[in-house]
Amino acid sequence: MTEFSPWLAEHLKVMSIWLGTFCTLGLFSILYRENKLYRFFEHLFLGISMGYLMGNVWTDTLRPKWWIPLWDKGEWWQAGVLIFGLFYYLIFFKKVSWIARLSIGFILGASSGLAFQGFVNDYWPQIPTSFKPLWPHQAIYDKTGLLVSKALSVPDAINNLIFMTILVCVMSYFFFSIEQNNRVLKRSAQAGRWMMMFTFGAIFGSTMMARIALLIDRLDFLVNDFGSHIGGQGVMFTLLLFLCGAVIFLAQRTDKE
Amino acid sequence: MQTRNVIRYLNRIDRRVLYTLLIIAITIPFFFTIQIRVPISRQTEQLYKVVEALPQNSFVLFGADWSASTRGENRAQSKALLIHLMRKKIHFIILCFDPQAKTLMQEMVTGMQKEYGYTDGVDWANFGYRTDQVNFLKGFGPDIPTTLSMDINGKRVQDLPVMRGIHTAHDITMLINVSGSTTTETYIDYLQGSYNLKMVAAVTSVMIPEMINRLDSGQLVGMMPGLQGAIEYEQKLGYIGKASAASVSASVAHLLIIALILLGNIYTLIEKRMSSSVRGRN
Repeated sequence: MTEFSPWLAEHLKVMSIWLGTFCTLGLFSILYRENKLYRFFEHLFLGISMGYLMGNVWTDTLRPKWWIPLWDKGEWWQAGVLIFGLFYYLIFFKKVSWIARLSIGFILGASSGLAFQGFVNDYWPQIPTSFKPLWPHQAIYDKTGLLVSKALSVPDAINNLIFMTILVCVMSYFFFSIEQNNRVLKRSAQAGRWMMMFTFGAIFGSTMMARIALLIDRLDFLVNDFGSHIGGQGVMFTLLLFLCGAVIFLAQRTDKE
Repeated sequence: MQTRNVIRYLNRIDRRVLYTLLIIAITIPFFFTIQIRVPISRQTEQLYKVVEALPQNSFVLFGADWSASTRGENRAQSKALLIHLMRKKIHFIILCFDPQAKTLMQEMVTGMQKEYGYTDGVDWANFGYRTDQVNFLKGFGPDIPTTLSMDINGKRVQDLPVMRGIHTAHDITMLINVSGSTTTETYIDYLQGSYNLKMVAAVTSVMIPEMINRLDSGQLVGMMPGLQGAIEYEQKLGYIGKASAASVSASVAHLLIIALILLGNIYTLIEKRMSSSVRGRN
């Protein structure tokens, strides 16, 4: 688009910063409460994302992998993919809805096979590495001088012991083959539940860190990138404080009413 | 009486006041050029060593799967990794399973290529956004040129010097995945596991607990954990980027949140004690 308009090419960056600022502030307005401005920018963002996705599916996948071979190279059999895909929509017509099962069955079968491969590649390597040595030792070599086991220091052995204890406790929590009346099993399952709670806490903490990082990025954009267009960081910071003050004032007034 | 008043005030505090405090805590450090030197974590150290050990002209597949929504963490991670690759004159191609990443990465690399003497198509190439990661990777592993077919400029794989000698996944020296979603797992499931590829990942903070297992099992040989990882990596590179600049803001924001959590808990304890003493008197 910028090829047709030198003015647009010149001002595109500034325009995108102004637009980005309005969109960011519009979305931040949810911090006050649910409002129409927020709804507008939310829908705008969703619409643009979806349109952008569809455009990219066409330019990066469908056009080079399907359209060009079909029309330019004369690979007419590629049209079969479209027909096979359109079978899905026959589910809306009672008389021929059985045809849709062909596409659905094919996709389900292929996905199941692929999921099995994914499971094997993802989890199997994790099983042998869960068996960790617990006794400190020097490096062990076989007769040919090949390293069989790396040296294990005392702190590493303690680390492995903690790992193994947690692993056994958590696994015992998910042991449902017999009723957990046994004292040892009951206690270890309880400990396993505690360990999982710690993990969920750690995940929640990480989530908080991630969200803060995203907020820092947005505020960096507002104060540093946009701020430089309206007179500096200080001006934007003052503007932000003013907006926050206005939000608090409005919120308190609404609460009183 | 005074304690009760303070508790009453804390109980009524508007959540928007807390948002304002957080905004102030994050923004004020922008006015100063202070940096916090952080200890380098084992994961980041491992990642740095693996990239550092790559021989010149190695071929790296750079999987960028992030969008504007995780830009706060993934942008700094991507830039730090690209700087390291470009300093070492390593060839790379970009592949995205998120449509926004295609444009964000293109802007980033074109902005850097002049400084490091890189040329599009010769030292690096962007193959843009691809749909359906699982099926794409199934085809990509055994036959890279046919699956990629052309880059985002419309140039055929056969005409790109960077792709010379690259036929299957066995020709890839290392796979880097910068991700804000589950694409790292899919790469492990359908490319790393099947071809025993050397793989590293730069993930968002939320994904760290899930990825630690993969690092422990050797499926990943290095990891950059969230913004913290980006700060550490920039420090290793001796480069002050967006992550280093955000280090003080992040620390102040975390301290504020910890203080607020403690305050909330103290408030709950005092309130509990006061209500039980009132009940005791009655």
